[in-house]
Amino acid sequence: MSDFCVVRTRGLGKRYGAAWALRDCTLEIPSGTVTALVGSNGAGKTTLLHLITGLGRPTDGSVEVLGRSPRDEAQNVLQDVGFVAQDHPLYRNLSIAETLDLGRRLNPHWDGEYARERVSRLGLDPGHRVGKLSGGQQAQIALTLALAKRPQLLVLDEPVASLDPLARREFLSGVLEAVAEAGVTVILSSHIVSELERVCDHLITLAAGHTQLEGSIEELLACHRILIGPRADAASVARVHNVIRESHTERQTTLLVRANGHVYDTCWQQHEVDLEELVLAYMGYDPGTPLAAAPLEPVAR
Amino acid sequence: MTWVAWRLQRTETLVALLVLALVAVLLVPTGISMANAYHHDGIGSCLSSNPGFACSNKIGAFQSQYQTLNFITNWFTLLPGVLGVLLAAPFILDLEHGTYRLAWTQSITRRRWLLIKLGLAVLAVIAANEALSLLISWWRAPLTQITGRLDSGTYDTTGTVAIGYGLFALGLALALGALWRRSAVSLTVGFVGYFAVRIIDEYWLRGKLVSPLHAVWHGTQVPGYLSSASILSQTVTVNGRVVESNSSSGGVLGAHSQLAAPGSGQHAVFHATYQPASFFWTLQIRETLLFTAVGAAMLLFAAWWTYRRAV
Amino acid sequence: MIAFHLDNRSGVPAYLQLVLQVRHAVRMGILRPGDQLPTVKEVVSSLTINPNTVLHAYRQLDMERLVEGRRGVGTFVAENPQLVPPDGLDALRATLERWVTSARGLGLDDEAMAGLFGEAVRGSSSTDESKVA
Repeated sequence: MSDFCVVRTRGLGKRYGAAWALRDCTLEIPSGTVTALVGSNGAGKTTLLHLITGLGRPTDGSVEVLGRSPRDEAQNVLQDVGFVAQDHPLYRNLSIAETLDLGRRLNPHWDGEYARERVSRLGLDPGHRVGKLSGGQQAQIALTLALAKRPQLLVLDEPVASLDPLARREFLSGVLEAVAEAGVTVILSSHIVSELERVCDHLITLAAGHTQLEGSIEELLACHRILIGPRADAASVARVHNVIRESHTERQTTLLVRANGHVYDTCWQQHEVDLEELVLAYMGYDPGTPLAAAPLEPVAR
Repeated sequence: MTWVAWRLQRTETLVALLVLALVAVLLVPTGISMANAYHHDGIGSCLSSNPGFACSNKIGAFQSQYQTLNFITNWFTLLPGVLGVLLAAPFILDLEHGTYRLAWTQSITRRRWLLIKLGLAVLAVIAANEALSLLISWWRAPLTQITGRLDSGTYDTTGTVAIGYGLFALGLALALGALWRRSAVSLTVGFVGYFAVRIIDEYWLRGKLVSPLHAVWHGTQVPGYLSSASILSQTVTVNGRVVESNSSSGGVLGAHSQLAAPGSGQHAVFHATYQPASFFWTLQIRETLLFTAVGAAMLLFAAWWTYRRAV
Repeated sequence: MIAFHLDNRSGVPAYLQLVLQVRHAVRMGILRPGDQLPTVKEVVSSLTINPNTVLHAYRQLDMERLVEGRRGVGTFVAENPQLVPPDGLDALRATLERWVTSARGLGLDDEAMAGLFGEAVRGSSSTDESKVA
């Protein structure tokens, strides 16, 4: 992975009327990564993706895609950005071939051969009307449209939310093949975490319009720990590490911490955290709670 | 890009062509036969010379023969409204189904998309309504010779006003669609709005577009030019006192009022405000421009609103 | 040709599972010297995993001299893959049988033995990981 950032936001915010859908969002998405954008419905995922693809104009801050503003330089930026919006909108009355033709006419760099070959590999008849295809097939056509312009960045808004498990698998395989072949950077949003761990290597979580977690999944999982021990106050641990979630029974305390260095206290049993548990814990985490002042480092590398 | 916009408008354009075709199927055969009857019965010569008793019978017979068709074609003034809202549909459906997000993330700017899509809709509305106007003008020609061009059935469906009406309906539907993003509601309310505005236009606005003239006459000798004029209001005064007044344009009072009976001894004076046949083109142009301007304003609003607000 | 399989619930990182499966296949003779491993794209397609995971696994196998990558062609099993020799396996089996006897003597049933064994395997594979990371 190079150090080149495909997407860079600084203090990005978007307001609709009086409500802020996204606030103070500063992040960088490195080239060649597959990033999961996770958050509950209404957390701001779609807003962020729309700002990245130039569909919305920022109220605050800035967003740069491949070094340019996606809204102001749409014609240039969008040549290299493939987008599949939520519910994979397509023109129902067009045939598959006409849909691809639309892509060819509206994009300067278009790999028609790749598009046709992908459609036939999917076992679809180009003369078929898009409206008659199943949900999974429509999603694949929308993906083909996005990939055939050979983008550097692929943005997918809840691409598999309405698909059955087989269609989900096939869709994600298609995305990952493009990553393997062409090194496309991918951002995909989801509110279902469980499937993402093997597909994605980066993570961004949003809650109420704010980013909570951002970084490589490997590093994030490495620096979080579940601590289980006899019933105790979390304060001593909280002095050194960030306690993200704590729960107590009569005799036992369970903590999920973001560790600053090693956890030395031997009364705690340590376990690794999996991605789903990590995300869930942060979803319930109040960002107003003060964090430890020391810079965070991953544990046991 | 133009091809894409055309292809996405294809269904609606074909429906518009179908409507025109149905109108043509009705009007072309009947128009030919009406024109033939007109010449065959010598109605033209009847009109140019002083109408005698036999002539006015012939004219009356001719008119009643085509009365039903005439009545039907009067309702064709609703068609510009139909065509206008129909051709607003592709734009609104784009917003309703979210496919604009697909279009705007290809490599074209949304400005270009809006320009071409709306531009094509405008062209289609103009073309369709112009074709409709020409067709109906041709069909009506014999009847127009008799009644003049200002009776509302003729005026509404000939000349250039149909284009203005169509653009108005298009603009209204587009503006509603941009705000509501629901095609069924926008098109329905758009058409109803068109209908309502047209009623206001016919019964109130048109009289205001050009200052009307006044006619005064005594007795039963109704001035001839009034038969082809649009009469806005009439009053009858006797010795300076108003005894009857009528503000509709249905028929000339003087011809029927008993007050004008010879030998009644009353000195009845008839007044009318009217727009003569020679005002036809002035009225047409002003009305067309007015409707077009309002339609254009609403269309520009729809474009601006979508450009700035849609995410 | 080898077909990979991932166990989501084993707790073993995905790339390590691939490494172990290749080692096992070479040991069992399913993969022979000179055989080509599936391409990154093929693995990604069949398992729906991140390509970097596959690259990580193949890099590790390359470092162990088990495989060698030929640029532009693919990844192939090395001519002399370095593995635990067959004699070592007999000794291992004997040690394991003695261990099982001791465990039964302590009163452990099959499940308890499997749990203990699993813990030890996972414990050693994470040290494995930190050794090569």
